[in-house]
Amino acid sequence: MDIKESIESVRNLFRTDSDPFPTNYQTVEALRIKYLGRKGLVAGLFSMMKDVSDKERPIAGKLLNEIKQEISSVFNSQTGSSKSREKSHGESDYSLPGLTFPVGHVHPLQQTMDDIKSIFMNIGFSVAYGPEIDDDFHNFGALNFPPEHPARDMQDTFFIDPETILRTHTSNVQIHLMEEKDPPLRYIIPGRVYRNEAISFKSYCLFHQVEGLYVDKYVSFADQKGILEYFVKRMFGADTKMRFRPSFFPFTEPSAEVDIWSEKGGQWLEILGCGMVDPEVFKSVDIDPDIWHGFAFGMGIERICMLKYGIDDIRLLYQGDMRFLEQF
Amino acid sequence: MRISIDWLKEFVDVPSSTEKIADMLTMLGLEAEQGLDTANLSDIIIGEVKEKIKHPNADKLSLCQVFDGNNILPVVCGAPNVDTGQKIAFAPVGSVLPGDFKIGKAKIRGEVSKGMICSESELGISDEHDGIMVLNDNAKVGSSFVQYIQENAPSIELDITPNRPDCFSHLGVARDISVKISSPLHSPDYQPRPFTKSEVEDWISVEFENIDECPRYVAGIVKNIKVGPSPDWLKNRLESIGQRSINNIVDISNFVMMEMGHPTHMFDYDKFGSKTVLIRRGKKGEKITTLDEIERKLSPEQLLITNGKIPVAIAGVMGGLDSAVTKETTTVLIESAYFDAPTIRKGAKSLGMSTDASKRFERGADPNGAENAFWRVVQLLEDVAGGNWVAGMADPYPKKIEQKPIELTREKLDLLSGCDINDSFVLLTLKGLGCTVKGKTKKWTATPPSWRPDLEREVDLIEEVIRLFGFDNVPSKYHYNGIMENHEPDPHKGITIMTSILTGLGFTQVFNNSLQSSRKVSLLDIPSVKIMNPLSDKMDQLRTSLIPGLLKTADFNVKNGEPDLMLYEWGNVFEQENPGMAGIVEKLQLTGMIHGLLHGESVHRKKKRSASFFALKGVIESFLSRLQIQNILIKPDKDNDYGFQNAFSVVVKGNIIGYFGDISHQFVSGMNLDIGQSFGFQFDLNTLLVLTDKTVKYIPIVNYPAVERDLNFLVKENTIVGDIVSTIQKNGKSILKKVEPYNIFRDESVGENKKAVALKLRFQSDSKTLEDKDVNSVINEIIRVVSKNFSAKLR
Repeated sequence: MDIKESIESVRNLFRTDSDPFPTNYQTVEALRIKYLGRKGLVAGLFSMMKDVSDKERPIAGKLLNEIKQEISSVFNSQTGSSKSREKSHGESDYSLPGLTFPVGHVHPLQQTMDDIKSIFMNIGFSVAYGPEIDDDFHNFGALNFPPEHPARDMQDTFFIDPETILRTHTSNVQIHLMEEKDPPLRYIIPGRVYRNEAISFKSYCLFHQVEGLYVDKYVSFADQKGILEYFVKRMFGADTKMRFRPSFFPFTEPSAEVDIWSEKGGQWLEILGCGMVDPEVFKSVDIDPDIWHGFAFGMGIERICMLKYGIDDIRLLYQGDMRFLEQF
Repeated sequence: MRISIDWLKEFVDVPSSTEKIADMLTMLGLEAEQGLDTANLSDIIIGEVKEKIKHPNADKLSLCQVFDGNNILPVVCGAPNVDTGQKIAFAPVGSVLPGDFKIGKAKIRGEVSKGMICSESELGISDEHDGIMVLNDNAKVGSSFVQYIQENAPSIELDITPNRPDCFSHLGVARDISVKISSPLHSPDYQPRPFTKSEVEDWISVEFENIDECPRYVAGIVKNIKVGPSPDWLKNRLESIGQRSINNIVDISNFVMMEMGHPTHMFDYDKFGSKTVLIRRGKKGEKITTLDEIERKLSPEQLLITNGKIPVAIAGVMGGLDSAVTKETTTVLIESAYFDAPTIRKGAKSLGMSTDASKRFERGADPNGAENAFWRVVQLLEDVAGGNWVAGMADPYPKKIEQKPIELTREKLDLLSGCDINDSFVLLTLKGLGCTVKGKTKKWTATPPSWRPDLEREVDLIEEVIRLFGFDNVPSKYHYNGIMENHEPDPHKGITIMTSILTGLGFTQVFNNSLQSSRKVSLLDIPSVKIMNPLSDKMDQLRTSLIPGLLKTADFNVKNGEPDLMLYEWGNVFEQENPGMAGIVEKLQLTGMIHGLLHGESVHRKKKRSASFFALKGVIESFLSRLQIQNILIKPDKDNDYGFQNAFSVVVKGNIIGYFGDISHQFVSGMNLDIGQSFGFQFDLNTLLVLTDKTVKYIPIVNYPAVERDLNFLVKENTIVGDIVSTIQKNGKSILKKVEPYNIFRDESVGENKKAVALKLRFQSDSKTLEDKDVNSVINEIIRVVSKNFSAKLR
């Protein structure tokens, strides 16, 4: 084969090898060594010069230089010399902003809800959901609210018709669960609830609640304390000072409120209500209160979210203001 | 209700500091706040009124000279009771009162005023706003008002839960403390009065229409009383809990209520109008002017006290003005009754009234308290107002209210409490609370006292025992059964995944109100659920779509200078598919929208890019692909009912799972929004949750080389590229892995109403390295079918 043919075959080989041009640094280097290395194919072509006749030598030399340049220029244009990069893209100025990609934000309420769910799911609670529109029985009657209880009033509750309401708590799902399933039961119930309250910085006509229910043969007040202490310390930190203080709810007996101590405010802050399920509630869903015992608790997700993130106006949670949301 | 520490001390030894008492009561379930929120009152100092003259330019104002310990300052005051020599709460210039009320130097009707003399209501202590608060002689001029209050009138505000009517009094609160600290309870010092011959029958008798509504009505007479101001001790007691002294007779009634918890009422006997008290329901058309000088229209909804003819009081709520005690009264008729709780609650509610008396009766008063309060009132009327009791009392009480004995077992107590509470503690607690108890160990039979209507069942007694034992003394248990046979996964597990995908795609989550105006709801032709008693007509229906909420949010942000938005919400929408509750359907939806720019110009991107249909489509494709939802069909949906124009439905396995397209302009005009073109999607979230609830199965990676070929067809302009793609896919045999259009070219050279569609095809076999002939036969078939079906020409 004469040198011209050899040059042509190296050129063709290179065109195949370099298209597409490799993106991987090691492959590029291997390619470079293969063609431009000390023992590479181009060097091999040059070594053939010794066999070329004097007459053909100038032409062959020219062709050799051309192919060397051609191959080098492909490497240069593909990888770029540092100088040309600087000029064309300014890429060496690290202070320029990066190429931006859109970033979304998860609503702080969702984050709080997910936190609460995950804490309880870690200790073996299942999760259930239920209807936002329900009847009086599931929202009040079965939960031992007396007929004249103020919560059943139009002033506190939204009615669809005299027997149908927008649930005022997710406790209605407690009743559905106990109607549908046999104990033992251990659930948390997150969801949206409604109160007929004027909208202000501290109250909204709806909010979100996580209700909990644990029914088994031997469930005591001491168990309730253990589980809710675990929750509070996971949610607010292991050093959180908390207390259980007696309170009253129609559907639990004894009932308690859980407060956590705010060092900043120098005061106790109420974060959830709880208690041992009242025997009347069990009776209303045909569960024998002599065999089954349990406790229930409920907390407002908004309240916990606001405490956690230091939000002072509940309306911010429903306004969709990007200046607020992009902080989360 | 406000409790005076000093008053409490009459009945029980209390801990030394107000703070400790408040803590103890809170931990007993009587949520206590120290009487004053003193944090707001640190600027207030004690001043002395050195001089008071009438304001030269205003009849109702006084011009006072107040000494603040350093200077004498001019202060204009509007209170009728301000006087020379008084020590008062003084808010100097620069101080801030509760409610963020700043005191500045002012000129009032031409007179300079440098500060303010405060009433209790201005200080946030009580609702008393008729006059300024006058301090006692111990007050040291120039010193802190907060300190004075803490030393002189320490009090606690209690939030009493509805199950504890017995704690609406100092005695009741003292009883809980006495049990808690095992210290004796001292009762008020009075006795039922012995008498030989009853004379009261000559004065008054009591008749009932319905004994169940008023099981007990004690009435009696005290004559020769002298109405006048109360003695200091009585006045101070009432003032210490923020009540105003009126006259000795009214004060006695209020005092007994605050002391023992039982409301009584005093009629002027001479104005009562008969010798018979008849308790009956109101009649339509009847009226009464109550003590607060308001004329009330009565009806059968209220129980009334009448003189046999006309109403003289609304039972358990408020007395009538005509029979009220005045300066001229000499003989009083004492009423000390026990009314049925629901009857009083409904009566008070029907009139929109709530009084100290009604609050107590509504929650359940003490039937025996009616008699006890009567004797206490008689004693005080004689001691304080110089009256003479007419021997005897009218007290028809045919159906005695008895408390039923309750059995409490050790077994149930241990089971519910989960801790060890010893026998003697149980016994002492129940006795201390007023129960009569039989049994000492294992089993107790307790008969609750008449003042505890809330104690009816074993669990109620257990509650009392644990409460007094102290919730904080119950040890927390951590060794519960961590696994359960019937544990279920979270049905909303998939929402967490969707949230993270959408966040990664640049979407921000919002929560919007489910309550909307009918105007907004009516923009879609979906039957909505209406609220009977809405807060306002802006929120009288439940949302039928998440779109209006998202658009309102977008509009809010546009107005605040942030027009580039990618938003989504998940939540329920509501449809009234059929009448009644059974016809209401709650649908869980996931809805999102994009608006404005996807990205602006930057050093890296020379061109900005706006939100567009294809940006939206790309989002949906990425979202569904990441959710592993495959074999999606996208179909035009001309008559979309859900608020999209140029709409498309997303179909999986023959079912529509959602829609996307331009968000309809009807919202923008119908809601008066300042937003531009927006694009949106809506998915049925329950369907998405079902489709995503599956485990991915790994498909082995093919290592045989892939072969790529380009095809460039010249087709008519109106040809749908997607149809060409699916035709190619159908004819790709098993070796066509991917086909994608990568260029559409229109030019004079391709001809009018024509376009050139360049497609990249990727072939790969699972079992061998493809040779040219394998690919060529498939390609030739593809070219043939496409050319035929689309009148296409290969370029």
